[in-house]
Amino acid sequence: MTSVELALAIVKILIVVLFLLNMAAIATWADRRQGAMVQDRVGPNRAVVYLPSLVVRGIVFFPPALLAALSVFTATRPASAPAAAETMVAAAQFAVAVAWLGLIVFCASARSGGPINPAEEALARVEPRSIFYGGVMAHVAVFFLTQAIPLSAAPVVARIACVLLGALLLVTGAYAALRVPEGKIPLRLLGTLHAAADAIKMIWKEDFIPKNADRLLHSLAPLLAMFPALVTFAVIPFGDKLCFEDNGDGVFGFGDLPLLKRTVDQAFTCSGHVVNLQVADLNVGILYIFAMAGTGIIGAALAGWASDNKFSLLGGLRAASQMVSYEVAMGLSVVGLFIIYGSVRLGDMVQWQAEHAWGIFVQPLAFILFLAALAAETKRIPFDQPEGESEIVAGYFVEYSGMKFGMFMTGEYVELITSSALLVTLFFGGYHLPFLDRDGINVAFGDATLFQYKMTHFAVSLTYVLAFFGKTILMAWVQVFFRWTLPRFRYDQVMRLGWTKLLPLTIVNMMVTGIVVLAVDSAPAGLVGGLQVAADVTHAIVAVGGFAAVVALIAGLLEPVERQRTVNSTSSRFAAAAGGTKASPQQA
Amino acid sequence: MARATPSNTWTKPAGRPIAGKPIPRPTRSADVQAYIPEMVKGLGITMKHFFKNTKEMVLGQKPDPVLNALEPGVTTISYPEEKRPYPERFRGIHRLTLREDNSPRCVACLCCSTACPAQCIAIEPAEYPDGDRRKGYERYPSSFVIDELRCVFCGFCVEACPVDAIRMDTGLHAVPYDSREQFIYRRDLLMSLSDRSGSRLTANTRHEPGDPTHPGLSRDHADH
Repeated sequence: MTSVELALAIVKILIVVLFLLNMAAIATWADRRQGAMVQDRVGPNRAVVYLPSLVVRGIVFFPPALLAALSVFTATRPASAPAAAETMVAAAQFAVAVAWLGLIVFCASARSGGPINPAEEALARVEPRSIFYGGVMAHVAVFFLTQAIPLSAAPVVARIACVLLGALLLVTGAYAALRVPEGKIPLRLLGTLHAAADAIKMIWKEDFIPKNADRLLHSLAPLLAMFPALVTFAVIPFGDKLCFEDNGDGVFGFGDLPLLKRTVDQAFTCSGHVVNLQVADLNVGILYIFAMAGTGIIGAALAGWASDNKFSLLGGLRAASQMVSYEVAMGLSVVGLFIIYGSVRLGDMVQWQAEHAWGIFVQPLAFILFLAALAAETKRIPFDQPEGESEIVAGYFVEYSGMKFGMFMTGEYVELITSSALLVTLFFGGYHLPFLDRDGINVAFGDATLFQYKMTHFAVSLTYVLAFFGKTILMAWVQVFFRWTLPRFRYDQVMRLGWTKLLPLTIVNMMVTGIVVLAVDSAPAGLVGGLQVAADVTHAIVAVGGFAAVVALIAGLLEPVERQRTVNSTSSRFAAAAGGTKASPQQA
Repeated sequence: MARATPSNTWTKPAGRPIAGKPIPRPTRSADVQAYIPEMVKGLGITMKHFFKNTKEMVLGQKPDPVLNALEPGVTTISYPEEKRPYPERFRGIHRLTLREDNSPRCVACLCCSTACPAQCIAIEPAEYPDGDRRKGYERYPSSFVIDELRCVFCGFCVEACPVDAIRMDTGLHAVPYDSREQFIYRRDLLMSLSDRSGSRLTANTRHEPGDPTHPGLSRDHADH
């Protein structure tokens, strides 16, 4: 291992650990916020920092100004024609996005706070949805416009686009800073400060150990609960391989790092040095995850036993038996995937999904089974019997307080993020996006290529990494929704579900998959080609569905609320006459 | 030959089968048993609520929670931030009304503490000092204590008071404190509370003893 490889490994570990810990904190907040939004409560928002408006103006103005400076700096740098073409496309699209987003925000502020000048009066009369639809159309139009520009003109247009983007960012930031009102501004950040305040509180809280508890094991248990959750992420690839060219000495040194290959082909032929965007590319792959996740039982069981509390003991026993039971179903449910992917390395699995179809389309039953088993493994609702606050108070961490309790909580949320990443890797194509190959966008069905757009290695890799983390966050969001939807199972139901429903189904799934894979392997070439077209159709479904979902979401959020209210009872008429109540200032 | 064991008359009337009322069980259709479709349906409902409430928050179109709460369906009022307006005749924390000279109206007649079903009022009467124009005519409370933890907010004390000295029109509700001691409201605290318009005088002006409008005897007519 050369020193540069060591440095890269440390950087990768830092990325993963920082992502996990930050996301665990954010997920703690998001869980509460989501529950509040589902149940129409105010939610976590009591923590507040009052800042003078000058500081708030700085906070509002600084990020756009920084990005503007970056954009103008990009414009001043010399670039080759293909790189300039890519810069041009990116800068133009960002400029369009900044324009419509800024217009919508100013439209909303003019509508809620009152217009302060004639331009805002005009803007307030515009429907926000039409701004958004205009923005989407501008995105498409600008894309085809940039495609029409010849490669020779690309450097000049790229500079114009970059300067335009910088100017737009600067103007938007400055105007937004101007609109900040005078005086002390309460900063609540949608309640994120509340989660931070909770964390600080936990550090300073009394760390209580029961008198007859096993002091060593009691302190060790939270560590053992958190450790496996953190290390399982090591084998999950968060991006495609990177190819660095050699600077002539044949050894991978720090001098090779700036020499990222300009473009790579689909087969990834790399004569230089390959860097995996993955902490450890183990050949046992997913088996490592199962092995590490299996040790998560020890933390819960030890905590239950060492606390000298019968509720804790019950919780620890429940955790142990539940996790052991569901480990079987969890391992067997993905055997069908191993048969299809032909590998247990997660990188190879993602590559198979990129070339064919995402796992959810080839193994939908396995997805449901794996999701259920994973929820039971992470002890999340509806499988949170180990906590069971209505029956055994808080289960195995009833005797924990302060940061030890905080470590259990962090471990639980890290497990949530890790399990989301695992689900994304196995069933949702990992870092892959539909039709985005290593050399750019290829919209192809079977052998018929409809659209092609070349991108650089760097741009594709960056998109892949962002796509992976974005998908993980989305998956965690969906998993948190389970918590606010489903009631807890009874304990015998959990055991019966695990052993009599999930386990037989996984075995059936495994056998049927084996037979089908054998049949497909010996099928004529025409059928295999047809399957490839079907796989490409699933990519198209994902791409179109994802685009439509994003558009529908934003348009739906911008649609004004219409309500009709009839006031019937005496007390409601009294309340209406008294002016009702004032919504809190936090709800703006 | 073994005899049949007699049936337990305590648990089962002899010779008659237990007549139970048949209760129809909900049908467990295949999609309910399969759990997944119902789960997806439930997710759809929570997501609908999530996006609706998020949208109202983003657009600043949050409806009035009071009016909303009276509609069918479940709505929550986020209490410390949002409050229902109290009705006009809401019985809140007590106050002792004052005279124009900021002395308590209370004449320490003990009517309220006698009427109190919770026995939470304790009054120590005292005589006005020599030379005071009220000396010998009426008394005043040297100590007036209400245990707000015992109080049941029935309002009998207000009904019983002959001089309108105790009222429950402060519009305050009982506040959570750290210790029981803080729930003991003493004379000066009770006298410092005001009604909802901010006045510490009586809201129901009656004829003061000594007023020209007083229909009864004046102090000069008294024989003591």
